[in-house]
Amino acid sequence: MFSGLTNRRTLGFCIVFFILLLFLPLFLPRFYIYLLALIFVTGLLATSLNLVLGFGGMYQFHHAVFYGVGAYAFALFSKKTGLSPWLGYILAPAIAALVGMVMGLITVRLSKLYFGMLQLSLGSLVWAIVFRWYSFTGGDDGIHGISVPDMISSTTGSYYFTLIVTTVCLILMYMIVNSPFGRTFQGIRDNPERTEAVGVDVKRHQLAGLVIASAFAGVAGSLFATVEECAFPDLLFWTLSLELIIMCLLGGWFIFMGPMLGSAIIVILRTFVGIYTEYWTLILGIVLMLLILFLPEGVLGYFQEKFSKSKNAALVEN
Amino acid sequence: MEFASNITIAAIFQQVLVGLSRTTILFIVASGLSLVLGVLRIPNVAHGSLYMIGAFLAYTIATLFGGGTAGFWLALIIAPLGVALISFIAERGLFCHLYEREHLMLLLFTFSFTLVFGDLVKLVWGSDYRSLSAPVFMQGSFSIFDLPFPRYNLFLLVIGPLVALGLWFLTNKTKIGKIARAAAVDREMVGAVGINVSRVFAAVFVIGCFLAGLGGALVAPTQNITQGMDHAIIIEAFLIVIIGGLGNMWGALLGALIFGLTDSMGILLWPQFAIVFPYIAVIIVLLFRPKGLLKSTW
Amino acid sequence: MLRIEAAYKSFDGFIAVNGSHLSVEKGEVVAVIGPNGAGKTTLFNLITGQLIPDKGKILFKDENIAGLPPYKICRKGISRSFQIVNIFNRLTVFENVQIAVLSHQKKTFNLFFPAKNLAISKTRDILDSVGLIDKAGHISGTLSHGDQKVLEMAIALGNKPELLILDEPTAGMSPEETAFTLSLMKKLSGELGLTILFCEHDMELVFSIARKIMVMQQGSTIIQGNPDEVKNNRQVQDAYLGGSDECFK
Repeated sequence: MFSGLTNRRTLGFCIVFFILLLFLPLFLPRFYIYLLALIFVTGLLATSLNLVLGFGGMYQFHHAVFYGVGAYAFALFSKKTGLSPWLGYILAPAIAALVGMVMGLITVRLSKLYFGMLQLSLGSLVWAIVFRWYSFTGGDDGIHGISVPDMISSTTGSYYFTLIVTTVCLILMYMIVNSPFGRTFQGIRDNPERTEAVGVDVKRHQLAGLVIASAFAGVAGSLFATVEECAFPDLLFWTLSLELIIMCLLGGWFIFMGPMLGSAIIVILRTFVGIYTEYWTLILGIVLMLLILFLPEGVLGYFQEKFSKSKNAALVEN
Repeated sequence: MEFASNITIAAIFQQVLVGLSRTTILFIVASGLSLVLGVLRIPNVAHGSLYMIGAFLAYTIATLFGGGTAGFWLALIIAPLGVALISFIAERGLFCHLYEREHLMLLLFTFSFTLVFGDLVKLVWGSDYRSLSAPVFMQGSFSIFDLPFPRYNLFLLVIGPLVALGLWFLTNKTKIGKIARAAAVDREMVGAVGINVSRVFAAVFVIGCFLAGLGGALVAPTQNITQGMDHAIIIEAFLIVIIGGLGNMWGALLGALIFGLTDSMGILLWPQFAIVFPYIAVIIVLLFRPKGLLKSTW
Repeated sequence: MLRIEAAYKSFDGFIAVNGSHLSVEKGEVVAVIGPNGAGKTTLFNLITGQLIPDKGKILFKDENIAGLPPYKICRKGISRSFQIVNIFNRLTVFENVQIAVLSHQKKTFNLFFPAKNLAISKTRDILDSVGLIDKAGHISGTLSHGDQKVLEMAIALGNKPELLILDEPTAGMSPEETAFTLSLMKKLSGELGLTILFCEHDMELVFSIARKIMVMQQGSTIIQGNPDEVKNNRQVQDAYLGGSDECFK
């Protein structure tokens, strides 16, 4: 089943990297472990966005909604019910997927910018409800002191949990991207008209893609709630969604690991620039400007472009 | 859930007037956005930032001139011009090189301006609240059916139609307006007949941004001038443009009316969730007219 | 197999297809000719569902398919290529055709099985038959125009159609490429028994392969018949052959 998914060298590199990550908590200070967990969560979220954005070509302008919904679903579940918090990790993606499906049913009829704008307005509606519904969501204060299963409540525990869940989700998403569904999805990105002409129900595939992406965003949301033990309305605010798009762009959105790299860069920059100045968004803005002007294919995309000439010829092994 | 219990005819009338004055601001901002979106095809997220800068500039100018009536009028004129100048520099320096990029890139590029402007405003004006008071003769309220209605809102109700009329004149009666409308439909054609499209685009961009600044300057006396007012307005403006029909000036007016009135009626019906009503209106409109109420230039 | 009866389509008052009719029998090679703007591409778009006719019937195997979405029409057995190259630019040649094959095999909702291992032999067969097998790994957007046009046709073959519709298959091709495409069409119709409906400006190609020709002018069908009938038709001669219309040079 896994054969042919990736070549040996890449697989080997990934395994070594994963093992390295497993051992990091033994010698890294706590803050860095926490930071890494945050990178995994953000990276997972950005990768899930890229599933529809980079591989599906859909203008998903408000992906953060599903992240927030996942975080809130997990938080509210653990706060309001006496049931095991572990169940929250199943509930969060399920609710996020449900919200994704409802929004998708309304939006997939539209194309490109209209789709994005309607997605943005529906998402803003969800944000407004969360923001105002004090009695249920805590309004702008959010929810604090979420109870997380003991096993993963420590920094190291949540690090391992995040690492493993993120890895599993990445593998699943990688498989989806390389599955017939993923292939078809990329066809829709390149040319929806042609894809429909070869007998593919484009709208249904787009809807399915949206639901899948929102489910993974929901997982990321529940992980965030685990790491930070809180949830707040900013998780669903539209500026976060655009920042996610920046992460995809920065890493390169035609490459699977691009968004992961992009979010690592952004999270690290934000953390360390934030130490020296409160004007972090100014720097982010300038980075984004330079990126669009000079590196529109992203960092990984740039390198791939550079080396693709020789690679192209080697691809014929099929 | 606490519904307002005192829904009377007078209260409804009062809220309609409040909604209409809100409509004025929304229309001015959204029409500028729609102009840029319709003619240049730029989804300008930074439009909200320009609105915020307009408000802060108005505050500074009014304060510089002692805060009196003269200061207010000067602020109302100079602040939008200042915003227009900023946009002119941005257009000539950066945007004019990017017109051929796809919409997503343009949107992100303007978002980078939102980020930069947001911090620059913080840098210049600090993160405190500012407030600007209207000239004395516009302060206070008068009563309609025994309910108070701010005088300044009445001023807004006069300004709104004036701006609409001015825009109508600009797009229908002037040469640049006619060229811009033609370019909105077919860019290449206009270029082919020997018109300097680039210059027309610059003018349209600057006029659109001027409107954002004007909206900001006008809204300044009615609310606190703060960081974050850019984030709130831009989503509203985009939604108005979308439900009205991209690039359609009257659509922007219609959209602003829907948005302003549902918002003010929401305050009357269910204050806690008033914010939700306009969004629901937008969704209902788009369910039935996915491309907006009036004809789009796209 | 395919019968069009009195199809109409207008855009903002401009009548693109005006009561046109056409019939294609199984195994035939039928050409649609006519000057630019005669409505040929619009007619094809009506057949394959990109456009919905205002009036009229489009019967495929005695079933009215007018107004169905393109993907449903494709699943009924009609595939098409496009006049303007319409491929998946960022994907490889192999993947381009594979999408059509996967769609035909109803595997596009398979989420977890590697696509690399699916539909390989079918895809390779098609690439082999159109002569693109050597370029299977190339990104399709980087191919030459002629190769892209051939790929157009290969994608259409991926659905294993009963009726293949080609919209100007040789537009923009060099003489060698045109000759190759002609031989390819002959092979498809001869060896595989495919029914082909195409439109073309190259009259030499049309008369060398088409069993039946339909002539369109201003959205209407002037005549449909065998090549000799068409050549000897007065109306056609007046309208085209006598004149200096560029498509009959």
